[in-house]
Amino acid sequence: MTTILNWTYDENNRYHRWFRTTVIAIVSLVCFIFAWWDISVLAGSVAIPTPLETWEALVDLVNNGDPMTGRSLWQYIGSSLKTFLLGFLMALVVATPLGLIIGYSRTIREFMNPVIEVLRPIAPIAWAPIFILAIDYTIGPILVVFVGIFFPLLTNVVFGVQKIDQNLMDAARTMGASSVQVFYKVMIPSAIPYLMNGVKVGLGIGWMCIVAAELYAPQLSGIGFYLSEQATAGFWPGAFAAIVVIAILGIVTTGLAEYIHKVITRRMGMSNV
Amino acid sequence: MSEIIENGVTTGEAVETETFVPESELKEGEDQIHIRNLSKTYITDDSQTVVLEDFSLDIRKGELITIVGPSGCGKTTILRMLAGLVQPTSGQILIGNRECSGPGADRGMVFQDFALFPWRTVRKNVEFGLEIAGIPKEERRQRADKYLKIVGLEKFADHRVHELSGGMKQRVAIARAMVTNPDVILMDEPFGALDAQTRNLMQAGLLRILEKTDQTIIFITHSVDEAVYLSDRIVVLTKRPAKIKEVVNIDWPRPRDRASPEFTALRKRILEELEKENVLD
Repeated sequence: MTTILNWTYDENNRYHRWFRTTVIAIVSLVCFIFAWWDISVLAGSVAIPTPLETWEALVDLVNNGDPMTGRSLWQYIGSSLKTFLLGFLMALVVATPLGLIIGYSRTIREFMNPVIEVLRPIAPIAWAPIFILAIDYTIGPILVVFVGIFFPLLTNVVFGVQKIDQNLMDAARTMGASSVQVFYKVMIPSAIPYLMNGVKVGLGIGWMCIVAAELYAPQLSGIGFYLSEQATAGFWPGAFAAIVVIAILGIVTTGLAEYIHKVITRRMGMSNV
Repeated sequence: MSEIIENGVTTGEAVETETFVPESELKEGEDQIHIRNLSKTYITDDSQTVVLEDFSLDIRKGELITIVGPSGCGKTTILRMLAGLVQPTSGQILIGNRECSGPGADRGMVFQDFALFPWRTVRKNVEFGLEIAGIPKEERRQRADKYLKIVGLEKFADHRVHELSGGMKQRVAIARAMVTNPDVILMDEPFGALDAQTRNLMQAGLLRILEKTDQTIIFITHSVDEAVYLSDRIVVLTKRPAKIKEVVNIDWPRPRDRASPEFTALRKRILEELEKENVLD
């Protein structure tokens, strides 16, 4: 127990715990900003702007947009989010049924595994030049995001199906359920928490992919394009401002995914997964 | 809280229930299930395990028969074969006149670890078998609620399974197994995961539920005490491969007094027989 100004910290009080975490997080971020500032001043390089310069560039970007293209920050973000969402939805629609089938059937699993194991270790960004230059600059980045999210989703769903409690399936069968009924009344609900876990991991990776993919697709005008445009022009504070925007959006997406994961697993009574 | 709820089983007498209408034509006491020369051998790459060899047993309609035996003697395998979850290597199981070839709604099963669906509410768990049988929503709800009342959990119908205590979970599982009105209920050490007090309450509760039914119960247990308390007949098995060592008929009235001399004497005798089987060889 720590006493600060007549206030006693209580580990069992959730608000106290929350307050403690928040205070430490703020201190951590402040330390980070000072460290950044220090490096910037010590290095004395224009390529490392100070936090203040970055902040000013960010405010300018929010208020006036990009003078070079005449686009606003929101247009950049909107474009990136659209690509991201489309890639995510595609991955969800393809990986979920495929994962269920691969997890369910040994033959299909043995058939698909070699292909998956060959493709999985390839960094999604490695596909960017091929997809974007060979296919199309709008579809390309979507495919890169798709690849990034697809594999964590797939492996989690396959794992989820294989981890299903055999007793639950036996119980369903003793109540007369057919294989098809066992599949959609037991296997699919059992796999959902694992699917959500895949979504959580996949969103983080997908978000990393989108920015990289946009570097190859200037026509898309996503936030990644703004970053490369500013850096190419030598407007370092602007480039750093873009990185701050990317970081904030990344935190929001993964935070959202974690929240959804928590709500769904709790509602399903499977929060131990 | 859970203690009050556990007590709900013992005070649940006021619940009105109709007698179940059996689907088969058999009368109580007639042979319903015939297990004929059942054998089961598990084969792995480098070993063969004979779990069961030439096992035969007739089970009567409406009786509560418990199977006790030394650990690992194949009790659970017998039950899983009756459920149709495991195929025998040879021999057959007849239920009525039908040969049992796979799982079916005519046999309900209660598992040691409850096997409730965590994503369903208590009521939805009980409704599962009715859903499979294609019973309309209204009737499903009605029947599920009736059985939840029988097991004393009507107040918990909308709760999630993880909010319940072990004893309550197993009562949900019992309701779920009974709601489709199967001819036979198979219970695989249903109270094995519960603490001793809850276990005793559950045994008394089970007997009270069974007074109103004529379902056949096949009950696997480790506990001789439980077997003597519950059974019409106790089948004592030898060590693996399991053979019938003895069948004990108990026609004492219920509820039975655990402290009575004949209860303790019988328990002691069966325990001694089992101990002979448990000698490590």
